Amino acid sequence: MKKDNEKEHNRHKIVGSLLRNDEALEKVIASGKNVVVDFSQCNFISVAGLEWLESMLLKAGSGKAKVNFVDIPPTLYKVFKVARIPSILDACGSPIVSSVNPNC
Amino acid sequence: MPTTITEQDLGLMDQVNSLARKARLAAAVFSQYSQEQVDNIVKAMTIAAINAAQDLAVSACEETKMGLVEDKIQKNLVASEFQFHQIRNKKTVGIIKEFPEDNMVEVAEPIGVILALSPVTNPTSTIIFKSIACAKTRNSIIFSPHLMAADCSNKAARIVYEAALAAGAPRDFITWIDKSPRLRRVTELLMAHPEVDLVFATGGTHMVKAAYSSGKPAIGVGSGNTPVYVHKSANITAAATDIIISKTFDNGTECPSEQTLIIDDEISDQLLSEFKRLGCHVCSAEEVDKVAETVIDARTGGMNYKYVGQPANLIAEHSGFTVPADSKILLCPMLGELRRHKLVVEKLMPVLGYVTVHSDQEGINRALDINYAGGTGHTAGIFADDESVIANFSEAINAGRIIINSPTSIGGLGGVYNNLNTTLSFGCGTGGGNITTDNVGISNLINYKRVPRRSNFIMSFQTTKNLYINPGSLDHLRELKTKTAFIVTSKSAAKRGHLALVTERLPAHTRVDTFSEIDAEPDFDTIARAIKRMKQSPPDTIIALGGGSVIDAAKIIRLFYEHPNLNLAEVAVSFLDFRHRLAVFPQETSIQLVAIPTTSGTGSEVTPFAVLSLHDGEDPISLNVGTADEHKTSAQKRKVSLIDQVLLPDIAIIDANLTKTLPKDITVDSAVDALTHSLESLVSSFASDYTDGLALEAMRLILEALPAVLENPSNVLLRHKLHNAACLAGMAIGNASVGLNHALAHSLGVVFGIPHGRANGVFLLSTLPHNAKIPTKFTAVSSYPLWIADEKYARAAQFLNLPVDEKAEKGSSREGLKQALIVALRRAVFDLLQSCGQPKSIAELGISEQQFQKELPKLVRLAFEDLSLRTNPSLPLQEEVAQLFVEAYPPRSRP
Ligand SMILES: [Fe+2]
Repeated sequence: MKKDNEKEHNRHKIVGSLLRNDEALEKVIASGKNVVVDFSQCNFISVAGLEWLESMLLKAGSGKAKVNFVDIPPTLYKVFKVARIPSILDACGSPIVSSVNPNC
Repeated sequence: MPTTITEQDLGLMDQVNSLARKARLAAAVFSQYSQEQVDNIVKAMTIAAINAAQDLAVSACEETKMGLVEDKIQKNLVASEFQFHQIRNKKTVGIIKEFPEDNMVEVAEPIGVILALSPVTNPTSTIIFKSIACAKTRNSIIFSPHLMAADCSNKAARIVYEAALAAGAPRDFITWIDKSPRLRRVTELLMAHPEVDLVFATGGTHMVKAAYSSGKPAIGVGSGNTPVYVHKSANITAAATDIIISKTFDNGTECPSEQTLIIDDEISDQLLSEFKRLGCHVCSAEEVDKVAETVIDARTGGMNYKYVGQPANLIAEHSGFTVPADSKILLCPMLGELRRHKLVVEKLMPVLGYVTVHSDQEGINRALDINYAGGTGHTAGIFADDESVIANFSEAINAGRIIINSPTSIGGLGGVYNNLNTTLSFGCGTGGGNITTDNVGISNLINYKRVPRRSNFIMSFQTTKNLYINPGSLDHLRELKTKTAFIVTSKSAAKRGHLALVTERLPAHTRVDTFSEIDAEPDFDTIARAIKRMKQSPPDTIIALGGGSVIDAAKIIRLFYEHPNLNLAEVAVSFLDFRHRLAVFPQETSIQLVAIPTTSGTGSEVTPFAVLSLHDGEDPISLNVGTADEHKTSAQKRKVSLIDQVLLPDIAIIDANLTKTLPKDITVDSAVDALTHSLESLVSSFASDYTDGLALEAMRLILEALPAVLENPSNVLLRHKLHNAACLAGMAIGNASVGLNHALAHSLGVVFGIPHGRANGVFLLSTLPHNAKIPTKFTAVSSYPLWIADEKYARAAQFLNLPVDEKAEKGSSREGLKQALIVALRRAVFDLLQSCGQPKSIAELGISEQQFQKELPKLVRLAFEDLSLRTNPSLPLQEEVAQLFVEAYPPRSRP
């Protein structure tokens, strides 16, 4: 997996396929800083990638750091929507609970 | 699903949740895969399954103690190789189908997480089949194997999963419930789990029922009981071989396999001896009883599962008689009442019942008896050469697959003997309590997203083909190709001398008959009388001489004369969109219709419309030419419109000489009608560039010529302008129709007997500003996706060169100018009506406020159901229609 760490500490771009953990991002999170994760250059996410995102968000949450996912391509956002992992949806700013609508 | 989680279940929930979550994440990740990636995975799985076909068949036989290794190998190959062959080129990702003629595409959306139940009879083949189908459709699948086949099933799942993973499939997209005494409970908990999107159940009735009760979408399959009719027209030796191949396949475990044969008497001896020759045993009556005793569970009346997939000799032995070890099938004659025979049910073993019949009818009826003894919706078969018996059989029997002249078991699997989809899951439709009769496969595991593109309205422009214009054009009649003419006209035409003008111009030797009984509101009795007259001397030409009602009547007379059985109710049906209307008009006509308008108003000479009055209580259902006489004249209560291009006259003669003597009131009434036509067609939702020009020019001619005609009633040149204007506006409404103002006017006209043009006039000053406002509700069926009524009114004012307030003209805002132009148009209409002394409000018609209020609900109802509303640029709400009536009552002041 390619990584492209930008200068600013609180912004991290994921490039290419997210197949497993991203060490650079883990370090940023470990520092306890708020971080914005830019998905604009990410083109695939695997099951392991999803699991890692969830665990990373869990760590950040316990360290009270805020993580925001931004610039998510629709294909990936759809993966997040289908996977229905609450912490990931939360990081996208998406509500977690699906509402029950009347049938028609 | 009414699943209550007990304390015992809590221990299982970890397992259940873990399976569900794995499948959920895999489904999410799978959504990113391309067709190419998916196809590579499917190929790898198929190769692995083919390589493991024998190993898995052996495992299945060892574990389940059912069926035959040789045949289970074949089933594994059907599930892998045959299925692959059928789906390899099918699209399951992205746009999977295009419908160019419908301007639509279909895009695939995966189902998500599928919980799949697999049976004991076909354990490994079902797993292979469903796994490959799920990979092809980007779904994840959790297998719940049958407890008695869990090891071989899960082994099959692991083999195809590992091959898929190596080819790049998402981790855990195939998972399975491990063998344990709690397997069934885990399955039930998963069925109710929120992460499961679909339950795909192949297996025992209990599990299929549970799947359907889970509250989840479910694909289940029903139980079978395959009747096979061997008709006397069949190839007997081939039928015998096919039936043996089929019934012995995997020792009869295939649910589409033959259960009871219905054999035509004429061929039964020959067929049975062929069976015997090929190694089947035909049981004696005594042996049949013994077999039935053994293989039928006395408690349930169904088959004894102990004998499912067991060989024939073992079943005979357990029944207390011996047959050769290699006996293929125990054929059991079913004597006595078939419907109550023990063996009438499904027998998934080499036990095959049979009855003989004496006719096709009896054959199909006995097949129905078997079909309805627990096998509706599943499978049936027939051996016959006679196409009519095949057709009758297929019509009568309720089965999702009716196999002709081939083995029903392997035939039902699809792809071997026929082009059915390859499957191991046989949908049975509602006959088997299922949602589909399909051979369930990849097409059932996709959500189809239909993406229709907006279709442009195909508009046409139609009008009367031959117009003869200018004063004096009546002379065209001298060249008219006719030998027998029928003149439809009114009494006043004779009085005004028009009739003579026509008859003296018709070619010499033309036989002429005249019907001059058309009044202002012709009804069906009048039409019928005219037709009766026509029959006495059949004409080649109808000449309509008069105003709109005469020309309308002539259109209807021609239609019903040529098509006497036509039902008025069927051609006068209301519609929302003329392209999809129910009414079908006969298009053949051999009589030419010549329209000669003597008023300048309706433009009926160039429109495809005709209005007819119906008497109170008259039901158009009963109206055709034959019944009209029976209807007594009573107060006229409503009008129906006939609309079709076949009503268009062939020739119109627009000769203003005929309007010179038109009285002032009729001149103004009809000119106001024509003005309304131009104003309404201009903003109609079906207006086009073709009708706009006509509408604008008609408007200009009326505004200029009407006041001048009133000053100079016998000036033919001015009359000519008005006459042309009415015809141009007629062409505009003939193609763009009218709107709200006509709906209100029709209603007022019917309730208070107000002439049409005058009724139109009292609403114009309300409908103009109403339609110029942004609508509360836009009209949904429009030929263009814009609302531009205000722009069009403004454009009309500009075209008419109407004076605009200087302030607005100089003002900066375009909107301001537009509004000023609309006011200018309203003023022009007001001034025109004023100068002609025409009523501009309902009060001026002499209708008392009390009368008006009393009839208001009816006025609103009639206006609201008027067809004219459909093409108005806005769809007025009922309360708006009421408001428009109320507003139109008091006298008006200049805008
Ligand atoms: Fe009209």
